[in-house]
Amino acid sequence: MSRPVIRAHRAGPVGYAVLIVVSAILFAPFLFVCSIALSSQQTVATGRFSVIPTEFVWTNFVDVFRTEFPVGRFLLNSVVIAVLSTVGQVFSSALVGFAFARMRAPGKKIIFFVVLATMMLPAQITMIPQFILFRELGWVNTMLPLIVPNFFGGAYNIFLIRQFVSRLPTDLDDAAMVDGLGFFGIFGRIVLPLMAPVLVAISIFTITWAWGDFMGPLIYIDDESLMPLALGVQYLASTGSDLQAPPWNTVMVGSLMLVLPMIVLYYLGQRYIYEMNIIGGSAGLR
Amino acid sequence: MVGPASVSPASPGLSRRTLLGGLAGTGAAALTGCSGSGPGESGGNKEPMVMTVWGGDTDKIAYQTRLDALKQAHPDLVVDLQMIPSGQYAQKVQTMISGGHGPDILELAETINVYSSKSQIVPQDEYIAEAGLDLTGQFGERMPQYFQYEGRQYALPDRSGAMITYWNKEHFEAKGVPAPTDWTWDDLISYGKELTGDGKFAHAGFNWWPLWMSLIHQNGGTVLDPESGQPTLTMPECVEAMQFVQDLTYRHKIVPTPRDYQNWGPDAGGDSMFAAGNISISTTGFWNIGTLAKAGKIDFDLAPFIAGKQRAVCASFNGLAISRTCKRPKDAFTAIAFLTGAEAQRTIIDLGQDVPANLEVQNSEQFLKPKWLKKDLSMEVFPESADAIFVPPLIPEWNEMIKAIDDSLAGFWQGTEDAATALGKAQERVTAVFARSRR
Amino acid sequence: MTDTVPGRPAIPAGPAADPPPDRRHEPPSGSEARPARRRMSPMRRREALLFYLFISPWVVGFVVFLLGPMVASIYLSLTDWDSFTEPVFVGLENYVRLLTDDPVFWQSVGNTFVYALVAVPLGMIIALGLANLLNKQVRGRRFFRTVIYLPALVPIVAGALIFKMVLAPDAGILNRGLGLLGITGPHWLLDPFWVKPAIILLSLWGTGGATVLLLAAMKGIPRELYEAAELDGASGFQQFWRITVPQVTPVLFFNLILGLIGAFQVFGQVYIMTGGGPDNASQMIVPLLFSEAFEFFHMGYASAMSWILFLIVLGFTLIAFRTSRLWVFYEAEVDR
Repeated sequence: MSRPVIRAHRAGPVGYAVLIVVSAILFAPFLFVCSIALSSQQTVATGRFSVIPTEFVWTNFVDVFRTEFPVGRFLLNSVVIAVLSTVGQVFSSALVGFAFARMRAPGKKIIFFVVLATMMLPAQITMIPQFILFRELGWVNTMLPLIVPNFFGGAYNIFLIRQFVSRLPTDLDDAAMVDGLGFFGIFGRIVLPLMAPVLVAISIFTITWAWGDFMGPLIYIDDESLMPLALGVQYLASTGSDLQAPPWNTVMVGSLMLVLPMIVLYYLGQRYIYEMNIIGGSAGLR
Repeated sequence: MVGPASVSPASPGLSRRTLLGGLAGTGAAALTGCSGSGPGESGGNKEPMVMTVWGGDTDKIAYQTRLDALKQAHPDLVVDLQMIPSGQYAQKVQTMISGGHGPDILELAETINVYSSKSQIVPQDEYIAEAGLDLTGQFGERMPQYFQYEGRQYALPDRSGAMITYWNKEHFEAKGVPAPTDWTWDDLISYGKELTGDGKFAHAGFNWWPLWMSLIHQNGGTVLDPESGQPTLTMPECVEAMQFVQDLTYRHKIVPTPRDYQNWGPDAGGDSMFAAGNISISTTGFWNIGTLAKAGKIDFDLAPFIAGKQRAVCASFNGLAISRTCKRPKDAFTAIAFLTGAEAQRTIIDLGQDVPANLEVQNSEQFLKPKWLKKDLSMEVFPESADAIFVPPLIPEWNEMIKAIDDSLAGFWQGTEDAATALGKAQERVTAVFARSRR
Repeated sequence: MTDTVPGRPAIPAGPAADPPPDRRHEPPSGSEARPARRRMSPMRRREALLFYLFISPWVVGFVVFLLGPMVASIYLSLTDWDSFTEPVFVGLENYVRLLTDDPVFWQSVGNTFVYALVAVPLGMIIALGLANLLNKQVRGRRFFRTVIYLPALVPIVAGALIFKMVLAPDAGILNRGLGLLGITGPHWLLDPFWVKPAIILLSLWGTGGATVLLLAAMKGIPRELYEAAELDGASGFQQFWRITVPQVTPVLFFNLILGLIGAFQVFGQVYIMTGGGPDNASQMIVPLLFSEAFEFFHMGYASAMSWILFLIVLGFTLIAFRTSRLWVFYEAEVDR
């Protein structure tokens, strides 16, 4: 391809300098965290951590599981909550999104509008009554309030699925209908498999969101053994008796444990998120 | 974008679904298997009760030991101990109670009436009468009163003890300063200046409410008017006392500034820096004695709290209450009665946790010369301080009042506002808090 | 390259910009009729029933977890309730007090506005610049993009804890870095003036998220536009301002709105880093709400606050949509 080179599209030294400086600044906290995570108890007591790791107390990564806090449990709980929430979202949103994309019914447009409108509601409006609701159900201090609502679909996911499914060709559907396959069959046998990319993207979004969710567990979970890692790490940081600062090295190890899976997840699922960007108009809502 | 690979026949879809189904099943099992310590969930009769407390390692061990003793004496009363960081205690426990699964027994201190006024804890008068307990005889006249609200007893006293002074003998001897046994405010200033230097400070500061409130009372001021219950923070006596506190840091420079503290570490505080030997005097309750003695790093002794125009000192006082979500209040009360009885209270001394509320134990030789204490400490400061103890205003709005005051004092502790301004702000805010709550 | 369908609002480049209307296979009898008042064929009726069955999970969830609680919340906001004793009906008193007699609330609202109106646009501007740079033929582009995006993957809890250390006055790397430049950094989290910038900094750390989105949008801009401009002698900056920016304004706008809505609901960062202090200088609406509800148990008051938050968010969204015509560029419009 002999296309003219766009001069403006070549980065000058200033551009490079900016990128280098910005990258360094944005990366520095990561280095700092690693440095703290690898620090010894003595350094923690003085609080003077080095910017780049100078001590390499690798045993911190093992010791974190030996503190009086059930860190291993925190991790397990996070996984359980994230996985179950995702299962719920995927299935329920797929069902609902498919219906909006492929089925006709009176009032459909209005209902869809309502679905979209709910995306704009701040969660805090329902926070207190939901607490009361879960209290009456006896679900406080369990993981149920964090997981169960996901089995009822999420507006954004429904929207994405609807967009996606609308673009799928209907020939297979039509052929199947002629053959006598009902909507459930069309959904399960034909469309669902085709939805794989958007379902993967939704899974990634949901896992990311559930993994990092803090306010929900803060309200509903009191038992240490039920805390997910997001809450657990903050809990670690708030302890420490009067005679002792919180164990910052342990806290940072915990933080790293909170961050690393997100990085791995992103890199595995990049492609799907990119595609969903295009369809949905944005992605990765925090 | 639809990839060609996704048009798949049924079987991969099935296997994916079974996998997910399997996950869901495991998850559900995990959920039900560990759905927390909800009392009375199963048909099982004697499920363990839950008791929430705050504190450090010493407290944990001490409480656990007492609970073990309880089990020995009453085999059917098993109580699980749950430690909660003190900074979050009020919020967590109240949320637990609000959520319907509160602890059966809870430790409470100055926030007692936040709970009692909202019926989060149950009155114990019935059980006390049934058990025939003589509270005054057991705890003295004043202690039980702390835990009364509108004439009813909401908790039994468990631990008490005045705030006292810890001082580093080495530092004092090095600078030739006499022991702080009878110091006045001026003594603190003048000796403090001698003790400060070489990166060390004389005093940890008074920025915790029992400490500055003591100074206010020593100067003849009060936080709330005893009759009307309205705040009196702008009384000249209060302003003078608080200005004295601020001057220690910013004028006489014998107390570290917040920035100085930060220099020592991200969460360095008075207690930890005293333990590290960077500060010569610290004022707090009993609870550091055991840890400091065990660490053995510094040579310290105890002295009474300093005295102003009059002696007045705040005490720590912890009680044990029963929450409204407790399904077996009678059993809970039996447990509490045991824990505050002489036998269990001895553990408090034996482990060096705190000052027991039980008078008999408090006045015993065991307290004055505890066996865990290898060195000779002036433990008599506790009984000696007893008559200087005053009662802080234990109102239902305690949490909000303290927050309003703490917020108003933020600039004050940073040295950017003087006492008069800060207390003026505090006065306004506390008045607003009361206007809201006392319709 | 992709092209947008003329006449449609340009949601960023994709095979089909807007979901086309229901492309369902039509029954031979005619066009899609308004089904409401006509008699539906049994097949259509069945389809409608199945539709409602399919969406029933959402409907149930909507009623139980959203609508019901919303109505309850409205009622609660008219009461004084501590969740332990009986609620006391007080009418509009909570709202009146919030709006006229609660300086902490107004301070929180102000702080939240400052935070949202600085952090989000600033983040967008930085993202725009970075995306533009990354759009060029830079060597190591992948590497830079990765590093810049990394912070956006950090969960809020971890980010807040990390920044608590980063912002430590003497041991933290920010002040140490400033020290290298000869500046004495402030006591970030304890200084009433600098605490909001501190929280904004944490938000800016995650600017990579928006950068990647804008970058994706920029990739969709037809090269021909740039080539033509280059031939006309346009400078780099002119190309940026006249071509790149207008082409990405839909994405910019969309993310600005979402960003603002999200920023108004900030919670974790404040709760973990400052607890709202010092003296409410960093207190924001949601942490205040949380504190009122779960620390002081003024459930009614907190509910009223949540409704005011809702109105603020709604208001902002409406304003943004109304004014969007002024500055979002749609392909079909003629450039003035």
